[in-house]
Amino acid sequence: MSLEAITTLPWVEKYRPKTLTEIINQEEVITSLINILKTKTVPHMLFTGPPGTGKTATAHAFARDLYGPNYIEDGWFVEINASDERGIQTIRDKVKMFARQIPMGGEIGFKILLLDESDQLTDDAQHAFRRVMEQYSSTCRFVLAANYSNRIIEPIQSRCAVFRFRPLMKNDIIRRIKWIAEQEKLEVDDAALEAIYEFSEGDMRKAINTLQAAASISSKIDEKSVYYILGYISRGEIRKIIELAIGGNFLQARDELRKLIYVQGLSGSDIVSAIYRELFYLDLSEEDKLELLDLLGEIDYRISEGGTEEVQLMAFLARLAVKSKKKK
Amino acid sequence: MTHLWVEKYRPKKVSEVVGNEESVKTFLEWMESWESNKPTKKAVLLYGPAGVGKTSLVLAYGREHGYDIVEVNASDWRNEEKMKSIVGESSHNATLNGSTKKIILVDEVDGIAGREDAGGISALKKIISESRVPIVMVANNPWDQKLAPVRELSLMIEFKRLSKTSITRRLKEICEKEGIEVSDDLLGKIAERSKGDLRSAIMDLQAVAAGKKIVTEDDLKVLGDRDRVREIFEALRIIFYSKSIRGARAALEGLEIDPETLYTWILDNVPIQITELDELAEAYDILAKADIYFARINRLQNWKLMRYAIPLMTGGVVVAKKSAPKGFQKFSFPQKIRLLQKYREEREIRERIALKISSKLHLSSYKANKEMLPYIGFIISYAKKYKSRLAEYFEFTDEEISYLEKIYATVNEREEVEEKKQEEVTTKRMKKKTSKK
Repeated sequence: MSLEAITTLPWVEKYRPKTLTEIINQEEVITSLINILKTKTVPHMLFTGPPGTGKTATAHAFARDLYGPNYIEDGWFVEINASDERGIQTIRDKVKMFARQIPMGGEIGFKILLLDESDQLTDDAQHAFRRVMEQYSSTCRFVLAANYSNRIIEPIQSRCAVFRFRPLMKNDIIRRIKWIAEQEKLEVDDAALEAIYEFSEGDMRKAINTLQAAASISSKIDEKSVYYILGYISRGEIRKIIELAIGGNFLQARDELRKLIYVQGLSGSDIVSAIYRELFYLDLSEEDKLELLDLLGEIDYRISEGGTEEVQLMAFLARLAVKSKKKK
Repeated sequence: MTHLWVEKYRPKKVSEVVGNEESVKTFLEWMESWESNKPTKKAVLLYGPAGVGKTSLVLAYGREHGYDIVEVNASDWRNEEKMKSIVGESSHNATLNGSTKKIILVDEVDGIAGREDAGGISALKKIISESRVPIVMVANNPWDQKLAPVRELSLMIEFKRLSKTSITRRLKEICEKEGIEVSDDLLGKIAERSKGDLRSAIMDLQAVAAGKKIVTEDDLKVLGDRDRVREIFEALRIIFYSKSIRGARAALEGLEIDPETLYTWILDNVPIQITELDELAEAYDILAKADIYFARINRLQNWKLMRYAIPLMTGGVVVAKKSAPKGFQKFSFPQKIRLLQKYREEREIRERIALKISSKLHLSSYKANKEMLPYIGFIISYAKKYKSRLAEYFEFTDEEISYLEKIYATVNEREEVEEKKQEEVTTKRMKKKTSKK
């Protein structure tokens, strides 16, 4: 890959930490992992913590430090995403395929399999996976990454060394963004950094993505340009739907909503969250906002209970339009 | 324009009427009592399900024996006045011995009751008792309370559903006359579907066979929906124009579709039929509650809860809809299935893109779709100089790139409006921050 090509990589990839020492703000975890590296006695591990705090990156960095830079190409490390492969049979087959043989010439007698988003596995799949962990533990160590440890069954937790990843602090994110900006020769002012952080909700991936999108327009980035980008990327569609509903164009609003659901594959709760973010900026009285907030919560709950996204959200939008009309 | 076969092959003679031999005989005896000037009753009420030959019998008889049929159906007359002017005239002036023998045929008499047109019924009662010509009434359901006064004065003759064999036989005759080859097996299937309704069987036959020489099993597939759609439109009409919850709920009676399917139809038509904002919000509120009952029914397999879902989804519309829409609004098909097909291609492209992103960036395809794809799309659309390199990195095809560019295709059009809004939002946030300090 040419040097030029490298500079156009998605920055989340380009600036992914390569070794454990580059991981930010997880000192306790990193110290323990470095110790493990020294002894080369690797247990099964469970990484838990919020999205974008470095779980996957840590697993990769750990493997690279352990096996060297060709850890993937040489066949020491493989990554399976549990939310894409929910069936335990697929996982078992993949594990079997992967763990059956040890590459020649390595000084380490086992491979590492990263099971990402493992809290997406059903209880049944987890119980089956626990057997898999035992069967193959001589040739394969498992790293499970999950947002919530309580969604991982006890028997698995007890077979793993559990590492908790702390949420990233505001400073961690801002410092990292600043550093990337320097590498990319960008001018980012403080207000823009604040805005990037505010939107990221502690998720480094979101923060880096926002920076790269803003940089694709101009190398000078201020608060306005950050909101401008976010307006399109993550809020444009939902705002359009809200505007259509307020304008009384319910048929069009419904069409747009359907596109989000059926084309983009957003879940009801994704859309509820997007509306939630918009709610506070609407031109409504504080009382009405509160009432709508309560209704949105009700709808959030109903969707989680098995309600249909479309009708529940349309019910909310119609209510929102009524409030907005009253205001005028 | 081809003729409707149901008209073309309507019986010309009483002997051609299919089935219900006993009922036909009773009717003939009654007409003979008129012919001999000693009518046993002034009126008959022919009743039974649709399409079994009630009206056809009367028309065939009139044709064969030289009667003028003065036909009125429920849609012709709604009030006493009109009733008298049409029916009353004929019943007084006609003489059986004159050249113009008459039969007054009141079709869909239960429809009058349905329209709560009590004036019409009492007028009809009066006309019957004074009539000098035979009055034939036809109804699907004669047991409506409102028809009680005319029932007393009438000879009741029941018509039953026709047997599959007799329907098949009739269909076969039609096919022979039309020169169409249809296997007995297929005709049997059409007959079966009709549930003893010869008219609908002939309609179906024409629908699948018209213009063909040979009809195959595949041709039958079009039938299922056609019938159902007609039923559903009728149900929607009842629901959206009903005045009471009970009336709206009655739309489901005899409907052979499951309540959840009807629900999707109602749901899709709500924003078309209800245009007042407050009413629409109210309707959606109630439909969203019905939706929750459906979810509970499915989760708990508790079908008893259906008794709450149904009045909510039907009656809810009645409660919410207070004003009539401006002008008649057509009912529409649910869009969802059609949209799913329309969007399928786009969705598949998007899924492929997400999969490529996920394999490069260590993410599930779900997260790749939700969190990365929009950014990559934005960068590709906005920073054209990176386009080819990003495409190379992710191994995107041209089709996938043009999809990504399309997401933000409207960006430029909306730019100015958006920019202004952004400014407002930003100012607001700034203000908020300042006030905090």
